[in-house]
Amino acid sequence: MAVTGRAVFLAFVGVAVAFIAAPAGRWVPWVVLGLLLTVLLVDLALAANSRSVRLTHGGDTSVRLGEQAEVWLVVANPGRRPLRATVRDAWRPSAGAAPRTHDLVVPPRGQRLVRTALTPTRRGDQHNAHVTVRSYGPLRLAARQSSHTAPWTVRVLPPFRSRRHLPSKLSQLQALEGQHRTMVRGQGSEFDSLREYVPGDDVRSIDWRATARRETVVVRTWRPERDRRILLVLDTSRTSAGRVGDLPRLEHAMDAALLLTALAAKAGDRVDFLAYDRQVRARVRSEGRGSTLPAIVSAMAPLEPELVELDAAGMVSAILSGPRRGRQLVVLLTDLTPAVVETGLLPRLSTLTARHLVLVASVADPYVTRMAAERGNAQAVYRAAAAQRTLAERRRIAAELRRRGVEVVEAPAEELAPALADAYLALKAQGRL
Amino acid sequence: MTAPSTAFSPSLRDLWRRTRGPLAFVLAAVGIAALVAVSSPTRPVGHLDPEAVTGQGSRALAQILRKRGADVTVARSVDAAAAAAGPDTVLLVVRSHELRPDDVARLTDLPGDQLLVQPTPDLLEAAAPGVEVAASSLPAEPLEPDCSLQAAVMAGSAELGETLYTGGSLACYPGEEGHSLVQVEEAGRTITVLGSQQPLRNDSLALEGNAALLLNLLAGRDVVWLIPAPAAAQPTELHELIHPGFVLSLPVLVAAFALLAFWRGRRLGPLVAERLPVVVRASETTEGRARLYTSRRARDRAAAALRSGVVDRLRPVLGLGPDAAPDTVAAAVSARCASSPQQVHALLYGEPDGADPFLRSDADLVRLADELDRLEREVRQS
Repeated sequence: MAVTGRAVFLAFVGVAVAFIAAPAGRWVPWVVLGLLLTVLLVDLALAANSRSVRLTHGGDTSVRLGEQAEVWLVVANPGRRPLRATVRDAWRPSAGAAPRTHDLVVPPRGQRLVRTALTPTRRGDQHNAHVTVRSYGPLRLAARQSSHTAPWTVRVLPPFRSRRHLPSKLSQLQALEGQHRTMVRGQGSEFDSLREYVPGDDVRSIDWRATARRETVVVRTWRPERDRRILLVLDTSRTSAGRVGDLPRLEHAMDAALLLTALAAKAGDRVDFLAYDRQVRARVRSEGRGSTLPAIVSAMAPLEPELVELDAAGMVSAILSGPRRGRQLVVLLTDLTPAVVETGLLPRLSTLTARHLVLVASVADPYVTRMAAERGNAQAVYRAAAAQRTLAERRRIAAELRRRGVEVVEAPAEELAPALADAYLALKAQGRL
Repeated sequence: MTAPSTAFSPSLRDLWRRTRGPLAFVLAAVGIAALVAVSSPTRPVGHLDPEAVTGQGSRALAQILRKRGADVTVARSVDAAAAAAGPDTVLLVVRSHELRPDDVARLTDLPGDQLLVQPTPDLLEAAAPGVEVAASSLPAEPLEPDCSLQAAVMAGSAELGETLYTGGSLACYPGEEGHSLVQVEEAGRTITVLGSQQPLRNDSLALEGNAALLLNLLAGRDVVWLIPAPAAAQPTELHELIHPGFVLSLPVLVAAFALLAFWRGRRLGPLVAERLPVVVRASETTEGRARLYTSRRARDRAAAALRSGVVDRLRPVLGLGPDAAPDTVAAAVSARCASSPQQVHALLYGEPDGADPFLRSDADLVRLADELDRLEREVRQS
């Protein structure tokens, strides 16, 4: 049930009529009221039934954050009266749905399609909350209104802002694989094939045994290892909620993880994914060939920072729990704070480093670096000292990790993704995967 | 995903089922309230009213008089008082300021004794000639009778003295400028003037000899209690000033405003809630530590952090390892700048035993930061 501005206008006209017609007798206001009520009720009775309307959603099911998705809604009117309605396709505020309402007329036993554009401002699953139909009578004075559930979900994927770094990293990778240069020793450690010696080849790569069987000198060629396994571990505990710049650490870590996934997929490596705080939040295992990038992007979409402390022991056992496939590169995207690393991770690191190559990547906060350079008055110097203390702690933890054979990548938010890609390429070039 | 839609807004039947319970409760409550309101008589709350039970009323005195066999007639107009008063009755007049001038004249003609409680000057002059107001608006206080009036002597002290009078044939309860109770014999009637309302009030009837004084004064006779009703308001008919159209359009106006409220207030479907993310800066702990340093003036810790930061940064530049001794660092630094090893050592590691010149005041700490910056610049540029 609802009334429109027209009904209110009509009521105020009734006030004027009652005022002017007052000398006619005391019955005037009651007649005016009765007429008003009758008109409203008749209009309400003639409105199409809003409860029997059938609503069906359709359209996009996923969208990258920052882009626009289109969702349509089919409004079917099974009744015998035309449906004159305002329809609200209700989404959460962060879905950025526009327009908010649709005015439409659906003929009897007909259907109409309305389109809503979603411009989400947050990552994650956007569920349709409900659809409300307000069905007006022929005079548009009164309306019947009801809300319906018409489920539809649009998964908002991480934006992958670091994609712009991908071409340059891919060309580095190709250089590594020798597609731009001749395959020479030193650019990989995996034996590829034998071929005839040409002047300029490294004499150290001559395969003397093969040469002895032939007339010509034969060299071995090498190529970077392929089909290596990489496990991306995303720490979603409380430290990932801290904002660096405008975004939580988690978003920066996801960005870096996505660039690494894309790069590794091109390099022929397999990427697994694990998100962990006190329990497994998301897990993607690569099965067979083909890139896991779409699966990882989709798994990342609903992840949110959880306000709990990281359970490092649980994380290590989750990493080790998968099927035993031998050595892999474990990329741990976490924060270099004493609470996380010293008390949680370090005591259990040896079980991890014994079987895998571990790389810890962390977002550095440029704000702390700026604080460390503040000078001028006592308060600024105290701030600088506190920042220096934080930086020294992080340096100490990074040094401690390196001492135990862990690779450490620490870079400001914007540079973490390329820095992590560089670290991966360096490891690949050294044949350490 | 393309599941059929289902309506979840309540239908009329759902609404009725949901609201009938509360509705029945509200109706029952209203019914009970109405029943209680009808069955319980309303009591007047007036000042010195013989039917009022509030502290300022006088129901207690009237009840006691009735219990002692006296007939207490409450007269709310002079007409009623005249009808009830006889030669054997006592006319008790309270709130005489409500009397109109012609009422005052009629009162003086009524038969029987009279007890006037704080009468107006008009009534005083008409009913008890020769009695003058000596002082008024004083605080009520216990006074001693100090006279030969039997009723007063037996009652003892009473809370009187708000108004004092001079004159009269018999005067009791003297104050500084006059008496608080005076009696005049006038045409065979005894007119008693009481200078205080205090003894009559419910809340002070039990104090001192208040009750006894009044019971003695009124003893054994029927009482006509005259409490003049406030003069009726002038018949200014408000509705005569209003245009009849306004009155008649009022119901429609109310309905129009109700519709307006409903139009603006009716939401197009329920609100959609959203779980908002936590907003906390990653640098929060660092800033917290900075505030802690500032509030505690922790110069020693701040200086240590600044110094170790510089040493950490300079070590790779100087080609030294992380475990280089302070003297080695100082020597390596002084080789690349203009300062002596001792000065560099003092700057980078401080003086032992609290003799550090950079920790004396905040200004020194600022100086230390600048000196360290200068040193770092020199080493890097050398």
